[in-house]
Amino acid sequence: MDLFLQYMANGVVIGSTYVLVAVGLTLIFGILGVVNFAHGEFYMIGGYAGIVAITVLKLPVLPAIAFVLLVAAVVGIAAEAILHKPMKNHDATSSIISSFGLAVALQNAALVVMGPQPQRLNLDVSKIPVLSSLPTDFGPVFLPQQRLLIPIATVLLIAILYVVLRYTWTGRGLRAMAQHATVARLCGVRVERVAIVTFITGAALAGTAGMLMSSVFFVYPIVGNMIALKAFTVVILGGMGNVAGAAVAGLLLGITESLTSAYISNAMRDVVGFVFVILVLLFRPQGLFGKAVERS
Amino acid sequence: MTQFSRRHMLAVMGASVAAPSVLRAQSSDPIRLGGMLPLSGPASIEGRQILSGVQFAIEEANAKGGVLGRRIELVMEDDESNSTKGVTAVRRLIEREKSPFIVGTYASAVAIAASKIAAEYKVAMLSGGSTAAGATDQNTPGDPWFFRSWPDSNAQGDDTARAIVEKFKKTRVAIIHDNTNYGVTLAAQVTRVVSGVGGTILSTDSYNAGEQDFSSMLTKLRSLRPEAVYIGGWAGDGANIVRQAVEAGIRTQFVGSGSMNSDDFIRLAGPASEGFAVASLYEPSTPNPVGKAFGERFRARHNLDANTLSALGFESMTIGIEALRRVGKPDGLEIQKMLKGGMKDFQLVQGPAGTTAAFNAKGSVDFPNFIAVVKDGKRRLDV
Repeated sequence: MDLFLQYMANGVVIGSTYVLVAVGLTLIFGILGVVNFAHGEFYMIGGYAGIVAITVLKLPVLPAIAFVLLVAAVVGIAAEAILHKPMKNHDATSSIISSFGLAVALQNAALVVMGPQPQRLNLDVSKIPVLSSLPTDFGPVFLPQQRLLIPIATVLLIAILYVVLRYTWTGRGLRAMAQHATVARLCGVRVERVAIVTFITGAALAGTAGMLMSSVFFVYPIVGNMIALKAFTVVILGGMGNVAGAAVAGLLLGITESLTSAYISNAMRDVVGFVFVILVLLFRPQGLFGKAVERS
Repeated sequence: MTQFSRRHMLAVMGASVAAPSVLRAQSSDPIRLGGMLPLSGPASIEGRQILSGVQFAIEEANAKGGVLGRRIELVMEDDESNSTKGVTAVRRLIEREKSPFIVGTYASAVAIAASKIAAEYKVAMLSGGSTAAGATDQNTPGDPWFFRSWPDSNAQGDDTARAIVEKFKKTRVAIIHDNTNYGVTLAAQVTRVVSGVGGTILSTDSYNAGEQDFSSMLTKLRSLRPEAVYIGGWAGDGANIVRQAVEAGIRTQFVGSGSMNSDDFIRLAGPASEGFAVASLYEPSTPNPVGKAFGERFRARHNLDANTLSALGFESMTIGIEALRRVGKPDGLEIQKMLKGGMKDFQLVQGPAGTTAAFNAKGSVDFPNFIAVVKDGKRRLDV
């Protein structure tokens, strides 16, 4: 039983990163209809940006996060200009294919600039004011502060996203776009700006996840491949375009993986998620939390 | 008629002026020796370290007056760890550069493909890092064309597994391996050897290469209380596992596959790598006096410690040059014969004291691997 709680905690930590990456992915799909296969690369760039900020520029943690967000914003703007702006009047396959191209280009750019060897962010938690005072033992559960930071940051970021979507003009614009692009435009929503904001938000969430995880795991040029696949799993489970669904499904996937590797076999952990996706697509194609909508 | 004779005269005069210099050119032109390594692409980091050893061997030979009275010039080809490129590189080194032997290469698949071609041309190859048993197993026993002056991957796995029980006295062993051919083969071998020398395998877990989160697998492993954990896989994954194991509270003897004999592993794993054990062919702290002297000369020249890779690059090139010197002419077939039987007195920098280039029928040199242990962020042989 003691171990069960530890497995759950491990699952929540890893699930939190899935949430951060998947929420951005589902936003971009839900609002703009772009299936972004380069989303894992946003995560990878966030990880490298964090390493550059802390190891090379020697910034403290908060400015380092600001640096990662800045880089993510630039990446988001560029990705929008490549994947959405020229493609929005084309078939959806155009943006899918160009997002694959962007993923390959970004991976190779990382290979040239940062090299093939894995790298790690040495985040000294003892220098982070609030975090260093947090406990690491919760009864039978042990979570180092670097890991504890991840679910905390996820909850904060998702809360901020919720408030923005719910109460701000920009958020209303985003939601309006998701419901009906033409009507939103008629109502005065600046569609071009919404597209850019969406991409920036997606890149910022994935980039923050990348930065947080690079202090626990490693970053290397193709690290985004598996993350992107996991994020797609989460998005499908949660219902395409459903932000709350992605948050719940992300945690569920993390916990399922953790329990699989604990009680069945570690080799099966990646298989389980994909089996779920196939089952969901067969029996509940709108996702676990999606509403079935008849398109007119 | 007069015109012809004048031209004739000129030709004769020209020839008489040119002839001595043509003769001289044959004896004082540098002799070109070929090497092929992955200098770009996925294994370029390893390739460049091996190259530094190869270059060092040439520098030292030239400082002693070269070979056969001629200066040595190194001709490098980049095979990019690609078999097609490797085959082209070998052809170019033999046909155009007339290299009497070739040092190369790192990736075993490329070495196997390239050495088949080299054998057709009757030119011997000396491994540039390839350790797979397959590369020497494809040689015709008794007539090898691919030579490797250190033991193969099977021997490395055997020595490592044996050390868990015999050197570290740990009998309750857990195995973690990746799902590649490399990891699966090693796991099977370690299971066989450890059980054979009286150890027990508590559990075997596998993971996909490049997987990031091992926390739950390691939490489960901790409850089994293994005395030693063997990891078979790539260095990056191994470092990740060792780090997360310490986080999960596992305090035990970690032993890794040969791929984890790298400074990158120690850098990535950080303090968690203390006590980690891995098979090694060469360390600057080697008890082998020839190897120690090489390490000191290398350090003086590069201000950098020699490692397994630079040592083996140095070794292969030095053996080739020595065989060429003993044969007395750049003749591929004669050099192969010399390597087969004539180098048994030539002392190596790799392996324990007294190791010599006594190639066996398959073209490999047998000696026990060192088991290096990480202490204070460095692999050491004396702990």
